[in-house]
Amino acid sequence: VLADRPPFEDLYRDFLGRIYAYVRAQVTSSADAEDITAQVFMNAYQAYERFEARNTTPAAWLFRIARNATLDHFRAHGRRERLRRTIEHQPVSEHDPAGMAEERIQYRALLAHVARLPERQRDAISLRHSGLTFEEVGVLMSCTEDAAKMLYHRALKALRESAREEMA
Amino acid sequence: MNDDEDLELQALKRRLDDAFQTTRPRAGFEDELWSMMQARRPLWWRVSDFFSGLIASIREAPAVPAAAVAVVLVVALGIGIIARSGVHFGGAGGESTTSGAAPAQAALGSRYAETFGRLPVPAAVGTSAPPKLTNPPNDTGAGPAYANAYAGPVNLVWAGQFTVSITSAPVYRYLEPARAEVDQFATSTGASRQTGSYAGNGFVLAVSGTNPASAREPSYAITPDRSKLPAPGSTAVDTANAFLAAHGLVPMWPYTVTTTRIADVVRVLYLRQFDMPDGGHAYLVDPAGERYGIEVDMRNGQPLQALGPMLLYLDVAVYPVISGDQAVRSALATSANSAASNVPTVRLTSVELVYALAIAGDHSFYEPVFLFSGTFTQNGVVYSKRVIVPAVSQ
Repeated sequence: VLADRPPFEDLYRDFLGRIYAYVRAQVTSSADAEDITAQVFMNAYQAYERFEARNTTPAAWLFRIARNATLDHFRAHGRRERLRRTIEHQPVSEHDPAGMAEERIQYRALLAHVARLPERQRDAISLRHSGLTFEEVGVLMSCTEDAAKMLYHRALKALRESAREEMA
Repeated sequence: MNDDEDLELQALKRRLDDAFQTTRPRAGFEDELWSMMQARRPLWWRVSDFFSGLIASIREAPAVPAAAVAVVLVVALGIGIIARSGVHFGGAGGESTTSGAAPAQAALGSRYAETFGRLPVPAAVGTSAPPKLTNPPNDTGAGPAYANAYAGPVNLVWAGQFTVSITSAPVYRYLEPARAEVDQFATSTGASRQTGSYAGNGFVLAVSGTNPASAREPSYAITPDRSKLPAPGSTAVDTANAFLAAHGLVPMWPYTVTTTRIADVVRVLYLRQFDMPDGGHAYLVDPAGERYGIEVDMRNGQPLQALGPMLLYLDVAVYPVISGDQAVRSALATSANSAASNVPTVRLTSVELVYALAIAGDHSFYEPVFLFSGTFTQNGVVYSKRVIVPAVSQ
């Protein structure tokens, strides 16, 4: 392990929860979130030798991998997911034990609204609230920091509207 | 934006912060995933980690004599490495190298290592038998398409660049499987012992031990009942994957997939590889230098038979590898050095580190060897020549 690179174990411990939450906000089931999160850290573990801390932060590097893994998931399951979201206005209820346990989490419904946002808005909200700076969000989403801010605020308003509609 | 809206958005941000901070995977997921990642690490990473820890501890205790350190390194390597020849789960991936492991599968292929002492010489060394089969023109394989192999004496010249730069490599050892292990393997495929053989629902299974004549490890042949075959898959590889998966025979080691056609039979080859210290992989070759692994033959899109190495526990130990100069000298030492006009001169132009089987009674080894290759033309015919030399320094 190079001097400028923290041990991978530290990254794993620090980021596992955040990456899971980011992924969970994108997909409709905790099982998918676990699969994608596992893939993220497998990929990161294998690629860590090539990670250069001077070029990017560990957070931005990991979230890039997470974003790609999530996009891969949507590419593989995209049609089914889109159909499901179109047909169902409510988040898919889960009957597996993990899903039932997660029902107890207070903010699940809010994340379900996030999951139904358009892709870039969903990404902006998820990355920002996973602890990334707007600069990091912009780099990951291939736009400027200002554009990332604007996108985020539009997403926030869309999210508010979505929540209002449901309450109505 | 009015104040109410602003407050509403601020509240939403706080709720989002809370939502993301309180959404966490279920209890146990962190440990499960970490264990899985450890299981999937290539062998060399674990060896490196082990060395790092050992060297760090040596640095902390500088008074230890150098000779004692060397002994500690050898002994500790022997007992400290968990061996795995590379494991795989999930589907096969076309031409790409694949590797990975489900935790349960990983446990099957591993065993604590010992040191092996002086190693036997692989059967492939010093032979120049022709390949079984010249790759046909429609071969889609990743392996090189060799011209006619030349088995006669040749004068050798090295005219390539030695591109292999590793200084050590793992050696794997297996013990000849006992009857109980063969029975266990048969059971894992869905077969049970019948009179003198194994059979399952719609297939028969034959298992053979290490074969010194053909220099092959313990192998199986599984033949389906033609009347009970499922519908063909969309490709030959898909069908082969499904056939192997149905019997729990999907390779648990790294491999590449290639296909060849022989008359109306399509052969899907899962070419076996071993993890290398540089993160790459080295193919397993037979005495002719041909890559091999599992073969699934198919006709009309349906499997005829699958042949492959039986799943075995492998011990591992790491050995130093000879230098490029030494390897070239060893290869050229097999030259006929004849002035006779009928002895052709071959320019060896490429070299690859591969693995070959060395049989030693009730236990055998997969050892790293250097495979040199070159071609020459005689009477208008292009011939190929391969020379295999041991890579282990001992």
